[in-house]
Amino acid sequence: MKTVVLVSGARHPVSRRPALTRLEAQAASLAAKLGGTVRGLHAGPSDDQLREALGHGLGEADWLEIEDRVDPVPALIDHLKAAAPDIVIAGRRGEGTGDTGLVPYALAEALDMPIIADVVGVSPGAGSGTVSIEQALKKGARRRLVVQLPVLVTIHPLAPPPSPFAFAAARRGTIRHERIEATGLPTAKPSPFVERPYRARPKMMRQAGAGQAGEKAVLVGPTPEEAAERILAFLEDNGIRRYSA
Amino acid sequence: MSRPRIDPRAARASHLVSTAGALRPRLDLGRTGPVSPTGRPRRDPRREMAVSRVSSDGRPRFDRSHQGSFEGLAPSNKTVVSPAPAAPKLRIVAEPAFLVFAIMEAPGGRLTRFDRQLLGAAHRLVGSSGEGAVAAIAFSPIADLGTAGADRSLIVEADGASASGRARLLRGLVESFAPRHVLFAEEGESADLARRLSVSMGEPILTDVEHLGPRQAIRATKGRMAEEVGEPPRLMTLGEDRAAPYGGETCGARTLAFSEEAAPIESDDAILSDEFIPGDPARLTLSETDFVVSAGNGVTDFDHFRKLAAALKGTPGASRVVCDAGLMPREAQVGASGTVLAGDCYLALGIAGAPQHLQGIAACEHVIAVNTDLHAAMIERAGLSIIQDAQLVMPALLKLLEERGS
Repeated sequence: MKTVVLVSGARHPVSRRPALTRLEAQAASLAAKLGGTVRGLHAGPSDDQLREALGHGLGEADWLEIEDRVDPVPALIDHLKAAAPDIVIAGRRGEGTGDTGLVPYALAEALDMPIIADVVGVSPGAGSGTVSIEQALKKGARRRLVVQLPVLVTIHPLAPPPSPFAFAAARRGTIRHERIEATGLPTAKPSPFVERPYRARPKMMRQAGAGQAGEKAVLVGPTPEEAAERILAFLEDNGIRRYSA
Repeated sequence: MSRPRIDPRAARASHLVSTAGALRPRLDLGRTGPVSPTGRPRRDPRREMAVSRVSSDGRPRFDRSHQGSFEGLAPSNKTVVSPAPAAPKLRIVAEPAFLVFAIMEAPGGRLTRFDRQLLGAAHRLVGSSGEGAVAAIAFSPIADLGTAGADRSLIVEADGASASGRARLLRGLVESFAPRHVLFAEEGESADLARRLSVSMGEPILTDVEHLGPRQAIRATKGRMAEEVGEPPRLMTLGEDRAAPYGGETCGARTLAFSEEAAPIESDDAILSDEFIPGDPARLTLSETDFVVSAGNGVTDFDHFRKLAAALKGTPGASRVVCDAGLMPREAQVGASGTVLAGDCYLALGIAGAPQHLQGIAACEHVIAVNTDLHAAMIERAGLSIIQDAQLVMPALLKLLEERGS
């Protein structure tokens, strides 16, 4: 099985240095545990993030050097078409670049691969050419999907924590460098939005009992049985749980 | 300044009761009349006292707070007729000039806080002119859409459909209704759906919007070093707690008609099997769960408590006192120094509600308190308060749950 881990051009939120995001470190560890040939892939002006990903379990990586302002998606599409991996693992979105989370979706659309979001586990499927994927849903629920290869997945923060960074592994790993000239590729479309320095905006305060329709009920000194009835009725009326057999 | 003189003879004459043929003139001094030449009615202190008297028997009690006129007030037996509450006004948009879609997630058919915020943001985009309409789009039936702010509702039963199937369905809806904006929640399946739709339609999307008004939308970019500002585009995902929920008149929530052929639900060929595994509340962490059953100093029997938490299908939690005493693990601690909950419901057994503890449950929508102290802070916070010993209520709850067979 051929696996490619996508590494974004993320930056550290404080120092602004190139840094691997936690989700991509989790993706690298997950891919290393999955086995088969695992390669990292990054399109951007520097390979620092890739070097860090090698320390989290990737043996080899491809670095497509492009200029800073160039859209990385066409270069990634060309590379992935040639490499034809079975599984592509990506983080949710970049941190410190565009931060839209659209790149995996654009790749999946261009490569005609199914995309599964919020994945916490990947293991080889029972049949050949299939993979079993565990997807995180709300309220601790999970969905287990058996998917035909090839597939593109994005990682959820509840995936297993990344294996610790190993400096020797990062030094040992090899990065294949390829320079992509910007002339052959269309540059990123001009955005209709104006960019300006960030101003923090406060979030809405979470009010106690907002959206609660009923009035407050206070029962003074009920019998325990009556109290129990009322508690269960409250839970069922508000749709928290169902207790009938 | 001179006042007209009082004519005592005229005043006396006005009190005169006509008793024809009587020997002596009879006077009724209690009678008020236009006595004063100034035209000012005369005060009757006895009547005022009688009006302000509250209790009719026993020790007299007076309510002097009434500062209005006493004229024409009977001492009691006058009932105040309050005006009948007017029927709530209904916002009806008969012929909307444009639509704004809000994609609801609503697990279990109930709107979440985030869903309500989305509808509120959609109303900001529509404006108060009454031209446009907010349409709530959902994949399972939802109650209370009108009060939450949906002028139109479109429920497509596609609960079992895959994400790509839903995205294709939504694309069909967007192409047939041509809404001016489509709003998604930047969370879970909605965020996934928004990006699928954006890529398949080739339409730009503004993700994780932090400020949304009718004229501009703002999102953070470059790791919160810069922000993008511009006219609200067609597709947007809104960050959580970035818009106030709708608080205006109840909306019509009329059903939008659409043909099934325009938006067929297709299955995904690549997905061979799909198995849903519900979360086990006993093994979930406090920050992930939706229902926490928590014990405080009023609980002494912790075996009973753990059994109850399991029977209620809730995640066990505890207050700081209990965790300090080693009766519950530190991971179970709720509050400022433990876990700040994001769940829907909190059942507090024997917890008085220290400020640090209340901070931990600030986001909970429903709170039930069982406590012996009527004046505890937790009772103030709770939607349902039971003034009873938690140690007595726990076995009664367990027994009732056993009877119901769950």
